[in-house]
Amino acid sequence: MTETRTGAPVAPQHLRMLWMLAPAFVLLLLFFILPYVSIATMSLREASTRAVHGEGWTVSHYTTALTDAYILTVIGRTVLMGGLVTLLALLLGYPVAYHLAMSRSRWTSLLYVCVLSPLLVGLVVRTFAWMIILSNNGVVNQTLRSLGLIDFPLQLMNTPAGVVIALTHVFLPFVVLPLLGNLQAINPEVSMAARSLGASRLRTFLKVTLPLSLPGLQAGAILVFVLSISAYVTPALLGGVRGRTMSVLIVQYLVDTFRWPAGAALATIMAAVALIAVTLFLLLTARAMRRLP
Amino acid sequence: MTAASGVRRTLWDRLFLALVAAIYIFLMFPIVLVVVLSLNSGEFLAFPLEGVSLRWFGALFGNQRFLAALIYSVQIAAVATVVNAVFGTLAALYVARFAGRWRDRLRTLMTSPLLIPEILTAIALLFYFYELGIGTRYSLAIQMGHIVITFPYVFLNVSAALFNFDRSQEEAARSLGAGPWMTFRRVTLPAIKPGLITGGLFAFVISFDVFNISLLLKALGHNTMPLELFDYLRFNFDPTAAAVASLSIFVTFGAIFLIDRTVGLRSLRF
Repeated sequence: MTETRTGAPVAPQHLRMLWMLAPAFVLLLLFFILPYVSIATMSLREASTRAVHGEGWTVSHYTTALTDAYILTVIGRTVLMGGLVTLLALLLGYPVAYHLAMSRSRWTSLLYVCVLSPLLVGLVVRTFAWMIILSNNGVVNQTLRSLGLIDFPLQLMNTPAGVVIALTHVFLPFVVLPLLGNLQAINPEVSMAARSLGASRLRTFLKVTLPLSLPGLQAGAILVFVLSISAYVTPALLGGVRGRTMSVLIVQYLVDTFRWPAGAALATIMAAVALIAVTLFLLLTARAMRRLP
Repeated sequence: MTAASGVRRTLWDRLFLALVAAIYIFLMFPIVLVVVLSLNSGEFLAFPLEGVSLRWFGALFGNQRFLAALIYSVQIAAVATVVNAVFGTLAALYVARFAGRWRDRLRTLMTSPLLIPEILTAIALLFYFYELGIGTRYSLAIQMGHIVITFPYVFLNVSAALFNFDRSQEEAARSLGAGPWMTFRRVTLPAIKPGLITGGLFAFVISFDVFNISLLLKALGHNTMPLELFDYLRFNFDPTAAAVASLSIFVTFGAIFLIDRTVGLRSLRF
């Protein structure tokens, strides 16, 4: 691709054409990569009550955060909720992806829209819908009361439970999409062969389809986990004090109490927690994946 | 439809279909609920409905704050879409054709705003713009944030369109005497148009919905639509909010319908 028609000495094409890449590269360098350096430096700055940060440098924001019982509780709760959301999304997303992958119906396009819809309807709108459903006078409590099942409303809002339900709904498409691509790529003849050799459908699923779809499950799990531990809107509106997560705490530091260096340290810790969790998950799933062809 | 044709549906098939149907209902229920409640003529966001009316949509269009937010959101999203249509297409062309062994690394870089949690990018940009001495003035921070966060959608969709493009068509045009610009306009651009349309619509819709970036980087006194709704919900809980929500649902489904009609839903790339 680098030969030229004239044969004159010209720079190779991948260098001559670099101008095409330049705008995007400069954009990302200036407004994406360099800003991340700011988080790191800000987290090491002294606190100050008069300016954004003080003059000196310190690691005290990290040591404070990692020894503070309340912050540790919030970190633990965030990870636990993220794990629970991931598990629920995988359990609910798998049947949908499986059904879509096998579907030959002309309604498939419509079903796609159903699956994508939580993703495409604004975050605030989705969370708002869950507020209507879960509040003390909401749809769930009204229904249960009119059926005579409860006398007092179930406390669903301002609890971790409400946040977990709403986040599972919001992030379900992120499990279905990678799984769908994965399941569609599996050669249907493989499972047909298993069936014709006398394996039951359950056995075929457990021994053939499920192992072959592990990469999709893995990708979906990582996406959902990272998204749910860093989600802000849903825990902020639905979580209350008992469902407060790291993101909510960080925004409080930055916007309400104006403690930027400490907030920056918390943000770095959140990124580190996500990174550690994903790495552990990859190591744990590596053995199962290695047995794949 | 789960079994191969000709096989009788067993009890398990039926149970499986029921389970899948329940999950679809779980997916759609909240959205349908919001639309239904926005048409309620009563004062409260609750069942039973007292009647059907468009009064809350009237209230919405009479609300200056929501109107201002709508205009601000459309401006930010429009600028982000146009900038990304140019930057994203050029970058996708380069990565697909000239990147060589750098292709995978460049692709990761170009999609990274999508892979890294939005709230971290928002925090990073907040600190960065303060260090630059600009802060949140002139809506510059929020605009750059929206451009960066929606960039991957155009890049990915144009890349996907290029993946299936046969370059011999370009060579044919060149050998017939067309210049580089003419070749691009008459051959390459029509071929990548579906990807560009999908990517552009996505960039617009996502920018319209972006929350964390807007929350931390907004210019003083300017709220985007999601921020305005968020503020409203903290103090009011009436059907006006449902009307706002319905409106954004209609916009989104309008965009999906447009994509399905022009290029087909299965061509979407995330």
